[in-house]
This record gives sequence, C-alpha cells and structure tokens, in this order.
Amino acid sequence: MSVETATDVIVDGVPAGVQKTILVADDETHILHVVSLKLRNAGYHVLTARDGLEALDLALAERPDLLITDYHMPELSGLELCQRLKQHPSTMGIPAIMLTARGYDLEPADTESSGICCMLSKPFSPRQLLATVNEVLRGIAA
Amino acid sequence: MFRRGISILLLITAMLGAHLALVVWRDTALPLSAGRLRLAEFITVFASLAAGAIGLLGMLALHRKYLTLSDTLRKIVAGGKLSPLHSPDPDLASLTTVINELIVHAQTTISTASVHGKELEIRMKVAMAERQHAESIIYSISDAVLVTDSFDELVLANESAARTFDFDLAKSGRAPVGQVLHDQKLIGLIREMRQSNNKNERRIVEHTVNSPTGGRTFKLTLSSFVDRANAAASTTSKLAGVVAVLHDMTKEKELGEMKNDFVSNVSHELRTPLASIKAYVEMLIDGEAESEQTKLEFYEVIQNEANRLGRLIDDILNISRIESGLVKVNKQPQSLAVIIKEAVEVILPQAKLKNITLREGLTPIFYQTVADRDMLYQAVLNLLSNAVKYTPEGGSIEVQTVVDESKQTLVTRISDNGVGIPAKDLPFVFDKFYRAEANNRMAKGTGLGLSLVKQIIETVHGGKLSVESIVGKGSSFSFEMKLAA
Repeated sequence: MSVETATDVIVDGVPAGVQKTILVADDETHILHVVSLKLRNAGYHVLTARDGLEALDLALAERPDLLITDYHMPELSGLELCQRLKQHPSTMGIPAIMLTARGYDLEPADTESSGICCMLSKPFSPRQLLATVNEVLRGIAA
Repeated sequence: MFRRGISILLLITAMLGAHLALVVWRDTALPLSAGRLRLAEFITVFASLAAGAIGLLGMLALHRKYLTLSDTLRKIVAGGKLSPLHSPDPDLASLTTVINELIVHAQTTISTASVHGKELEIRMKVAMAERQHAESIIYSISDAVLVTDSFDELVLANESAARTFDFDLAKSGRAPVGQVLHDQKLIGLIREMRQSNNKNERRIVEHTVNSPTGGRTFKLTLSSFVDRANAAASTTSKLAGVVAVLHDMTKEKELGEMKNDFVSNVSHELRTPLASIKAYVEMLIDGEAESEQTKLEFYEVIQNEANRLGRLIDDILNISRIESGLVKVNKQPQSLAVIIKEAVEVILPQAKLKNITLREGLTPIFYQTVADRDMLYQAVLNLLSNAVKYTPEGGSIEVQTVVDESKQTLVTRISDNGVGIPAKDLPFVFDKFYRAEANNRMAKGTGLGLSLVKQIIETVHGGKLSVESIVGKGSSFSFEMKLAA
C-alpha cells in the first residue's frame, strides 16, 4: 500500500460509524504518549502497551481494529508480535503499521507473513501516521 | 752384490756344463768308452742341476723383490697417501717407472676430483641454506601456506597451515594432500587448479574452515606454478604444482560487522530521541496540545530529548576519541576520595528524589593515584548514576575505597541493592550499546555509559574494572588503580 504525503490527505476525525480501536505498542514513553494523543484527538479509541508481550495479551483480549507497533521492543519484537497475532484466528486479520528506528526495511516475506501493511521510519510525522491509519482503516471498511 | 756375482758364476758354469754335455752328445757317433760316458753324464747332470738351482735362486730373488714392491704398494694404499716409489733395483726399474706414472696420474685425477667435490659440497651447502631460507620465510608467514606437486602430494606446508588444518607438520611431507587434509572442499579446489593446467592462473575465493571453536573465514589464494628448471629445458613445460595461501579474515570480518553494528546502533540511538523531538514539535505546530499544561509538558519532553541527544553524541565522541587514541589525557596525581566526593554531591539530588541512601567509606585523601581528573570523575559519575537508576525507591548505595598495600593499589567499589543484572547479561554489560533487556524499563540509557567507564579505567589508566551482581539483590562495580608512587 502506498502512503500519501500528509499534505495530500485531509483527514480529521474518524469515519462515520463505530469508533475504531487502535493498539499502540512502543517502549519509548514519549512516542507512546504522542501517538496516542494524536489518535485520540482524531477520535480513535487507543490502547497502549510498553512491550511485545503486553501488546499480545491486550490484542488477544481486546481485538483492536489496527496495531501500531515499534520494531525494537523488550520481551517480544514488533515482528514477533505480528507473527504471533497471525497465528490466532481472532487476531489474524488485524492490520499492522510498523514504526522502526533501525532505518532498514523488513524482508517482503516477513511483512507478508505477519500482516504488516506499512512501515514508517523514525523520526516520523504524527500527521503522516494519522493519514496512514485512516487510509488503512478506510481500506478495510471498503 | 755378492749374491748377484754368485748367480752369474753359477750361470756361466751351467752354460759351460751344458756346452760340454752337448759336445759329448754330439760325439756319441763315436763309440763311447765307459769312462767318457760317465764323465759326460756327470757333467750333464751337474749342469742341469746347476742351471735349475740358478733359475730357482733367480726366481726366488725376483719373487722377494715383487713381494717387497707389493708390500710397499699395499702400505701406500692403506696410508691413503700416494707418493712415487723409489726403488734403485734395476730389475724393477721399468715396472717402478710405470707404477710411478700411474701414481702421478692417479694423484692428478684425485686432486681434480677433490676440487670438484669441494665445489659441489659448497654448492650443496648454498642450495641447502637457500632452501632453508625459503622454508623459514614460508614458515614465518602468518598466513597458512600449502604447496602441492603435480601428483597432489603435499611438498611444503607451514605451521600456520598445520594449526589451521590440524595435522602433524613432521609427518605430512610428500603425503597425498587428501590424506593430510580433511577439508574436502579445499582438496577439491587444489585438484581443480592442478587439473586446469593453466600456468598463470590465480584464483581467489572466500573459504570457511570449520573447527571445534567455530568457523573461521579465510581469503584463499590458489596459484599454479611451473618448475623453472624444466621450463627452461622444454617449451611444453608442465604444471609443477599448486600454492594455496589462506589469509584469516575472521577478525577483519568481525571488525567490519562490529563497525556496521556500531553505525546501525548509533543511528538507532540517535533516531529515537530525534523521533520524539520531531513528533512533539509537529504536535505543537498542529495545535494538538490544547492546554497550557500539555504545552509545557511537550516543551519539557523536547528539552529532555534534545539533552539526551546531546549526551549521546558526547558519549559516542568520547568513546571514539579514546578508542582511536585521539583524546588528550592529562594525568596528575589525584586524590580519588576528593573526586568521588564531588561526583557524590552531583548525584545526591537524584538519589534523594528516589529516597535512596548514599553511604561513603572513603580512604584519607592523601592516597593518590595518577589520573586524568575529568575522565576519572566521569567514570565515577557514570557508575553512581547507574546505581541510582537501577535501585528502586528507598534503596541504598555504598561507595567505598580500600587500599591494598601489598599490591599498592586503590580499589573503589560502588554497590547498590537494586534490581541486579541477569547472569546472561553480565559478560556484555561493558559492550557498546548493550543493555540488559530485563532492566530496559527501569531506566532509559544509551548503552554507552559502562562502555565509557571501561575505556577510561582500563584503556586510559591501565586499571581493572569488574562487576558482580545478583538479580534482585543488587550490583557491585569495582575498579582497581595503582597508587601514586
């Protein structure tokens, strides 16, 4: 999926209908805080987790509509988290956006097998992240 | 002389006798009277006996002379020294002359042969020395060298090769390469090279040698060579053998990987605070922070993350400067107790925030060590800062210095009763960017602080840094430095 630049997309607020739940997983408190604030301000319901295992438990319990995860996390990496979610029938359909500070892309085989639809490189723009989130969720709705 | 006279006399007598006998015999045409016949018989018998005796005596004399001559010759042979014979005996004169000629000829031949022999000996010694020289050059090469001939037999190998491929150098000479080495891939490559029969071929491949201690990567250079002596003799010279040189690249590869890891880690560590700064600034611009309180929070995050970025860059630069030896070190006798006190004062507010007790047990200030004040202060501060970071609220930290008079050293120990470090992480805590995953949540860090301490204590000051830790009980970092004389 291509990601449009922030200036091209005018998004504000949640598409009409049921409020979507987004799970954000990052071990960096500031990132976790800023991402959830941006999404909450846009009208989404946000769940946060500070490591991979916590995110896995939350995802299995809450079945969010979308996962935004950091790649490098304690306990369980972002990639492992996505792969684990793919193994459960209740969570296998959850799309994931991966944030990474590593500066390299994952192998296509890894992203395909783990439901990762977008990769965003840190430092990232919260504006662009929100645009991507909206696009992904709209894609699912359509 | 006397014997010679007698011999001649007897010979004349015998000849006379024989003459008389012949005369008598001739006259037998006349009837012989009994007296004449008896006289003739007597003369004949006497003459015969005399002639026989004379001949026998002559022969005996001659035999003795030959015996003497052969005795002399035998002595010459036994003595090993050829010298001309000096025999005045006229009977042996011609024989002596011939023998002497032979001796002179032999002497010339022997002396020529001996000169040639000596020349050959020298040449051989030179050749041996050259061979040994060439071999010692090959032995001294740190790369593994294997030389095989056109029958794939190992004609030369050095110690490095024996070590790499685990064979006995003394027993490997002229043995088929397939018997000495167990590395089928390398054997195949050597054979292929030999079979290609291309005299000027050189092939470079990366080759991995597996050993019980793990795989090692080599740059393998295979070259074929022709026998120069045979090459000169014929235009269709054949390949004489193959030289395989293996250069161990394991360390270089590791260093390359370390460098890549370092760059990758640095980029990751720099991107993280930068990501926060960028995101919070954008949020402020977009008006996402509604209340003044939130705005203030954002400014603080930006400031803290910018500071973190600055510290990170300082740490990276300090470590690289120390590692590359570029840093200027100003070593003076310093009182470690004074330096520690200064660092404790700086860290005390952070400890108080977490209600952590800080206890000191320092040696008198006159115990000094030769050190760079700023660097040592940084090392102590990093250790104290870590102790505060990884000790929960209400914990305690103890700083001690102890003098070991026998070793003339000063030992500084900073102990806490904090979360401790898992045993599996302990060997790596001083590695750059290494952070014990279990303690990641406890505090933020770059993974460079302890690496910098190690560089300062060990690389710059030649001291010794060590760590002991039990999960849940706490950690204790100690460093040992020489007392100033």
